[in-house]
Amino acid sequence: MTHALRMQDLRFRRPHGFGLHVPSLEIAAGEMVLLAGGSGAGKSTLLWLVAGLLRADGGTIEVAGQRIDAMRESDRDRVRARHIGLVFQTHQLLPDFTAEQNVALALMASGEPERTHLSRARDLLRALGVERTGAHVTDLSVGQQQRVAVARAIACRPVLVLADEPTASLDAESGAVAMDLIQRACREAGAALLCASHDAGMQGRFQRVVDVRTFVREEVAR
Amino acid sequence: MNDLAVVLASLRARRLSTAITAGSVAIAVALLLTMLSLRKSGFEAFQRGSGNTHLLVSADSSPLVAVLNGVFYANPPANPISWEKYNEIRASFPYEWAIPTQHGDSFRGFPVCATAPEFFSKFQPVRGEPWKLAEGRYPEKSFEICMGSAAAAGTGLRLGQQVRLTHGAGSDHGHEHTEYPYTVVGILEPTGSAHDRAVFTDLDSTWILHAHDRREHEGIEGMTTAADLTDADRKITGILLRLPTRPGSDASAAIQQQFDALRRDTAITVAQPAQQIDRLRGIVGNIDGIFIALGVAVLVSSGVSILLALYNSMAERRRQIAVLRAIGLSRGRVQGMIVTEACLIGLVGAITGVALSIVGGALAAAALKARIGLVVQPDIDPRATLIVLAGAVLLAGLASVLPAILAYRTPVADNLRPAA
Repeated sequence: MTHALRMQDLRFRRPHGFGLHVPSLEIAAGEMVLLAGGSGAGKSTLLWLVAGLLRADGGTIEVAGQRIDAMRESDRDRVRARHIGLVFQTHQLLPDFTAEQNVALALMASGEPERTHLSRARDLLRALGVERTGAHVTDLSVGQQQRVAVARAIACRPVLVLADEPTASLDAESGAVAMDLIQRACREAGAALLCASHDAGMQGRFQRVVDVRTFVREEVAR
Repeated sequence: MNDLAVVLASLRARRLSTAITAGSVAIAVALLLTMLSLRKSGFEAFQRGSGNTHLLVSADSSPLVAVLNGVFYANPPANPISWEKYNEIRASFPYEWAIPTQHGDSFRGFPVCATAPEFFSKFQPVRGEPWKLAEGRYPEKSFEICMGSAAAAGTGLRLGQQVRLTHGAGSDHGHEHTEYPYTVVGILEPTGSAHDRAVFTDLDSTWILHAHDRREHEGIEGMTTAADLTDADRKITGILLRLPTRPGSDASAAIQQQFDALRRDTAITVAQPAQQIDRLRGIVGNIDGIFIALGVAVLVSSGVSILLALYNSMAERRRQIAVLRAIGLSRGRVQGMIVTEACLIGLVGAITGVALSIVGGALAAAALKARIGLVVQPDIDPRATLIVLAGAVLLAGLASVLPAILAYRTPVADNLRPAA
């Protein structure tokens, strides 16, 4: 497998909004791509299409060599659980769980043996600098929470990590630290990264920049 | 990590709501089981009182009335039986015993039963459980009384105290037989039957009281003694009959035969207490059904409280559901977690309810015995308990259907957007 993601002639439209048409987009294994564009340009929508959380109207999406556009929802869920990691702008950690449980949650549908979940979660967290693995996430600092969120994204040994505005709520310095963390984790995990961000200052960090605005097709919406 | 760990964490996060909801299930289950338990022991309590009597003879209007009056002291029987008739019945068959009883007087509302000494030596108020004295002795002479346990507790009478009986039952305001004081010589142990509310004395003294009233009306002065009694004064209101049986058996093939023989006598009413009590159970059983229906209604309302608790928590769960879906859990699996959560609440509530009904039933039985001498033995039927447990869990599962559908339909992408 040479490609983490391959899209061809992808079409999607919202009932009362814009439409997307992606003639072709490929991300090689381990490649780091920035998905640029302003707020509301369609970056998140494209990420949810890749993750299989939204269904395309046409075209093909291949993740880790599997055509998810042709799959039933439950099969898309399985591909997402095993091959895709997600990082969100506000971390989206579950407050009722500890740091290691939050990470282990991502392994629940991964097919990995249940007995290994917590130990793998602890190893990942320690590798990313979180020592209090048994603490509730609400007791951790924002920086530590960011690390937990990154650990969760790479827990299932993904082929592709999708990051949706991971630094949007951080100042420039913290954003740089967070981005370093995500990219280092992806590199060490061997995962490709498709990172959506409106921050033009991040372009230098990525091997390739794709502007989502080139995919917006108003006529698709009509 | 597994689904159960996620469910338990969710329950822990909503401790108060979980505890209140499980508590409402527990109360409903306890109520239902207690009703089922008391229903059974209540029916058994009906059986107490007629004891080892095979047949009951009276001059009441029907066999059921005869049992209500003769065994449960419902009312003083309106029609007497002559002593001559008693002797005729006793001689008509080789009964094991034929004990005469006379109801009609009372003391502070507690019914008086005048009877023969065999009432204490041969009749057993509860089959296999003969009379036992808590204090003193049984009446041996005229104008001595022995108190049932509830009557003693209700009146506060002690051994050696003197009392005056009232003509008629259930009232403190009837004609008081002031000329003839009775002495309390014994107090009985509780039997768990209606006899605990009665006051017992001998037949002669009761006949003397009423003969004295008669003689006063006739203008005869002076105290009345047994020597002044006429055949007309010697009236009774019931006869307890027992037929000979084989050792170790309470049944006799002759009971039905003798029942039919006595029924031919139109001057009397004959009843088989066990049969009449079964009829009574049939009547009371309908009311009992209403109580069971009420218990089921309470259980259903606790199911509604589970539904409301889950439904109200759905708004705050949407983000959690979206995250679980985003990391790869299927809609069905998330839906299953909601159903599991509801079933766990139902199960924990139901188990707590079973424990409550056992402990509460034991405490209530102890209090009933101590305060009013009523012997109720809460007996929780394992089959009924399992049915109620399964019902509570099933109901909880049903209550989770709507929240589970909401979980199923939660739009993932919308709920992962940062709050504005």
